[in-house]
Amino acid sequence: MSFVALKMLFGDRAKYLMLLAGLTFSTMLIVQQGSIFWGLMTWSMSGISNVNAPVWVTDPNINQVEEIKPLADTAVTRVRSVPGVEWAVPLYKGVQRARLRDGNFEQIALVGIDPSTLIGRPYTVLDGRIEELRAPETVAVDELTVERLGGPNKIHVGSTFEINDHRVRIVAIVQAQKSFQNIPFVYTTYERALRITPQERRKLSYVLVGPQPGISAEALAGRIQKETGLGAYSGDQFGWKTMQWVLKNTGIGVNFGTTVFLGFIVGMAIAGQTFYLFTVENLQQFGALKAIGASTGMLARMILLQSFTVGLIGYGIGIGLATLFGLTAGRGGVLPFKETWPLLLGVFVALMMICSLSSVISIRKLAKLEPAVVFRG
Amino acid sequence: MIFRRVSVWLAVGGFVLTLMTLWGANHKMVPPPPTEPPPTSPYASTVAAAGIIEAVNENVRIAPPVSGLVTTVFVIVGDRVSKGDPLFQLDDRDLRAELNTKTDALPSAAAKIAEQDIHLQDVQDQLRRLQAVKDRRAVSEDDVKRKWHEVEAAKRSLIRARADLQLARAQRDEVEANLKRLTVRAPRDGTILQVNLRAGEYAMVNAADPLLLLGDTDTLQVRADIDEVNAPQVVPGSPAIAYLKGYTDKAIPLTFDRIEPYIVPKRSLTGDNRERVDTRVLQVIYQFEKPSFPVYVGQQVDVYIESAGEPVMGGPPSGIGSPISGTSTQEPQGTP
Repeated sequence: MSFVALKMLFGDRAKYLMLLAGLTFSTMLIVQQGSIFWGLMTWSMSGISNVNAPVWVTDPNINQVEEIKPLADTAVTRVRSVPGVEWAVPLYKGVQRARLRDGNFEQIALVGIDPSTLIGRPYTVLDGRIEELRAPETVAVDELTVERLGGPNKIHVGSTFEINDHRVRIVAIVQAQKSFQNIPFVYTTYERALRITPQERRKLSYVLVGPQPGISAEALAGRIQKETGLGAYSGDQFGWKTMQWVLKNTGIGVNFGTTVFLGFIVGMAIAGQTFYLFTVENLQQFGALKAIGASTGMLARMILLQSFTVGLIGYGIGIGLATLFGLTAGRGGVLPFKETWPLLLGVFVALMMICSLSSVISIRKLAKLEPAVVFRG
Repeated sequence: MIFRRVSVWLAVGGFVLTLMTLWGANHKMVPPPPTEPPPTSPYASTVAAAGIIEAVNENVRIAPPVSGLVTTVFVIVGDRVSKGDPLFQLDDRDLRAELNTKTDALPSAAAKIAEQDIHLQDVQDQLRRLQAVKDRRAVSEDDVKRKWHEVEAAKRSLIRARADLQLARAQRDEVEANLKRLTVRAPRDGTILQVNLRAGEYAMVNAADPLLLLGDTDTLQVRADIDEVNAPQVVPGSPAIAYLKGYTDKAIPLTFDRIEPYIVPKRSLTGDNRERVDTRVLQVIYQFEKPSFPVYVGQQVDVYIESAGEPVMGGPPSGIGSPISGTSTQEPQGTP
């Protein structure tokens, strides 16, 4: 019976391709838009994911990671005094101006990490040695800085530029997740960051904290918040907080949500209509099957098999096309494109829903089908 | 039959491509390990502080008694000096010239005494001769009286001449004393930690930087700054441990010395001369034995002080992190 069902499906090439195209492009649209949405969210959380500390301590009223409300220097020792804290180190973060010898300037996000432990340093060092940050007047820059400040010919390990009229020398090129604002990251040590940034009453942006073994980051964050009155979040909590802020304060959520919903609707409309037409055209065959004794349930199973088969094939081609798009258009991180398992799973579920819903209409038609239809013209 | 379809192969290809891409990109990044292990507290409950190593009895900022031109600096950084050793010399040419004048005035004053002495002997002699005349008519009473007054005046002149000599000596001594003052000497034994002074410079009495910094580097101490919020958690007498910045393997056990009773504004340690006072700190002084590795006066350390284990605000945190609260309750409470 399954053989017959598949033969019916593939036999009508034009309808099959139309059905497949509808499902494929619907899948591709949802996956592509969803991935770009998630890519944007990843960019918005890059300030957190680049540092990847278990717990972040800052002002309790902070909304998101790029919004900096500095603390007093002693916050580090206050946090170290909280039971359950394994270590705590300071972090500076702020937007400064970098200037090149030829007068070009560019905004950069300056990150000052603890010089002895280098906690919060980027994962991947592409060139040079990040340990050399301990040498005087040195920085590590990410690929975006290299691109923005004039390319690898001008900006490489050993070349110099100015931050706030302080000359700095590059000791490493690193890889960092791009930020939402698309400002390049420049890493230096905490003390040097304090020295080359303008005077402010307080400068300690964040305290990064590691929990003792056996204590979860969330529990420790809660305890730090309770005992010091400072705001403390685990990396994940802080990421969600930042993401919520972005969703609330920009139109990104609504925009992408609408597109994904439209993709769903269009996919369902095309698939439902085509499938219905397909069923109607094959009514005689179904009628014949019913006449030779096939039950409605069996016919329903055939319909479902057909719809899920074409659904699966459409899904496979769709995600393949979306991935190809991500791999080509988003190469080098120029486009915020990030596919994730939950997104693919969600799209799969949505697609199966489209298939099931469109088969339901056909099954209703078949249920009411008289076997005698086979004898009509 | 189904596997003869191009679309099926396309779908399989799409699946494989996506899975491979996701597999490559989506593994959770593990943060790179710290290049040095970060400092951690060895105690169950702790008060952390930022510390600085300093010489016991604090450091002496040597100042000149008067402002003046420096002619010689006798010491270099690192010199060990004993009490009374000369440190630097201020310009003394004018005082030396004055000393010469004053010294040269002494023989004149001494000659004046001799002169007055002779004069006295002369008038005394005359008086004696007048008095020796037996005939009252030969010498008038008035002459004798006048001579007697002359003798008395000569005696007083001699006294004054002696006093003048003394004054001249005193004036010479004063100049000598002032001269000695221009050689600045060590007020106590110690090591020269800083020299911000070179021959030819003008030494001010109220210089912002110390001209010379003298300290005792044999016995050092740690001054630990504790945020005023954490001040109530500090138990006097509790042990502590200090780590050199960036070297967690270099731990220095500390013994409690005293708590400074006055909470002072925190000094910024960034080396900026415009200090950003934003908080006040309690300072606790700890002593330590000189460790096997070198430590220097002025070096920053991370200090962990054992505390009684009671949080400042609210009760002990409930539910979370039970291993910690468990150990802190089992632990014998330290001295109050």
